[in-house]
Amino acid sequence: MTEILSSLSNGLAGAVDAASPAVVRVEARPRLAGSGIVWNPEGIIVTAQHIIEREDNLKVGLPDGRTVPAVLVGADQATDLAVLRAEAKDLTPAGWAEAANTRVGHLVLALGRPGRGVQATLGIVSALGEGWRTPAGGNVDRYLQTDVVMYPGFSGGPLVDVEGEALGLNTSAFRGVSLTIPLTTLRRVVDMILTFGRVRRGYGGVATQPVRLPEALAQQVGQETGLLVVSVEASSPADSAGVLLGDILVGLEGKPLRSLDELLASLSDDRIGVAMPLTIVRGGQARELTLTIGERS
Amino acid sequence: MVNLLQELNRETAGVIERVRSSLVEIRNSGGGVGSAVIWHSNGLLITNAHVIQRKGLEVRFRDGRILPARVLGYDDENDIAALGVEGHDLPVAEIGDSRELRPGQCVFALGNPWGVIGSVTAGIVVGTDGAGSNMRADDREWIVVDLQLRPGNSGGPLVDVGGRLVGINTMISGPEVGLAVPTHVVQGFLARLGESRMKQRDQADHNWLA
Repeated sequence: MTEILSSLSNGLAGAVDAASPAVVRVEARPRLAGSGIVWNPEGIIVTAQHIIEREDNLKVGLPDGRTVPAVLVGADQATDLAVLRAEAKDLTPAGWAEAANTRVGHLVLALGRPGRGVQATLGIVSALGEGWRTPAGGNVDRYLQTDVVMYPGFSGGPLVDVEGEALGLNTSAFRGVSLTIPLTTLRRVVDMILTFGRVRRGYGGVATQPVRLPEALAQQVGQETGLLVVSVEASSPADSAGVLLGDILVGLEGKPLRSLDELLASLSDDRIGVAMPLTIVRGGQARELTLTIGERS
Repeated sequence: MVNLLQELNRETAGVIERVRSSLVEIRNSGGGVGSAVIWHSNGLLITNAHVIQRKGLEVRFRDGRILPARVLGYDDENDIAALGVEGHDLPVAEIGDSRELRPGQCVFALGNPWGVIGSVTAGIVVGTDGAGSNMRADDREWIVVDLQLRPGNSGGPLVDVGGRLVGINTMISGPEVGLAVPTHVVQGFLARLGESRMKQRDQADHNWLA
């Protein structure tokens, strides 16, 4: 009589069932617990960095009802990700969906475990796009926005498809909308945290502000805007390179620096320790310095 | 190929149409509007305790009839109340098993939000252990649903995809989350109510005998 409606309902409940063994509770702040995803059977949990408000007395609530102690392996504020090691074995890791199959309009579920039981909300994929950069400079490989309502305690839980396979980790930390950090980014950040205990990020040591270049200068360097240096940190890579207050940065490694985003993009972890030509404008003249990217501590 | 979404629409509309007959409107002397469910064809209605706080309760049925209602009992803690009207052969809601609900299942909330009679919203079950979640800091049993309840939804039916009653909607919650009292809690309330009324009657009988 209501065959399709029943199938839909059972299908959604089935997807929640299938995914719930990999959804854990993360107790790392007063009162409000958050959620996490089982990364591997040996107790590695990936969660949202913003729900971690303390470094000791961390606990993870497992799907079987047990609550076990956990330690913080590392965190990356820029991508709002954190990795915990829970004192547990034989956990069920999340199954991951093929990212390429996701389309705008697909039904998706956000799962969380703020209490004992798993909880779910339903929505659709609102927007998909290219990689983007968080306000703190974190690289996210793919833009995935949904209209799922993120209830208190849902941050750090997975977004799952109708098969119960995970598409990424939900966070409410950015832009005031429901965004999902995709698997490729999780893998990169988790691997880096497990290897180095942190996420390495390049560092120059300047604060800049985009400015419009005078017309003659714009013609000379071939771009309309550059980055005015408003402060240089002492002993920073920029300081060592000879960058002065009032310089305008216009290019790095032969690529134009027209916006803050272009500068941040050149500071990825694989550039750490690399010496590269930095083009600046000083006293109305373009000149070249050599900048060796450092690591942000 | 059958268009699944069209079929889904057709089925959903059918379920709603069947359930709607068991939804009634509650009015009080202050002009407030709420909802209630016909639990028994002999005139037993279930609503929220907070809906019946004012006097002069009237029930408006889907066929337009308006009948006065009396309060048979209420439970403030669980926010449920039983009303009685003079009626028979009333269209009842089929009672489902709220203990069988699972997160992810589709549900519909019927009611009269903002006085819009017989309106419906659809969502899914978020969770069934309201206790321990961040939604409410108490240990009462709630069905948490991801649909928006509005003033006037209070006391209305929450039904599953088969049109079976699984909860009584309450709106004492946040803007983007709905809470419902599970039907098994209502059944417990009715059992207690029946016992206490029986006792009262025994008492009355006893007095009469003396």
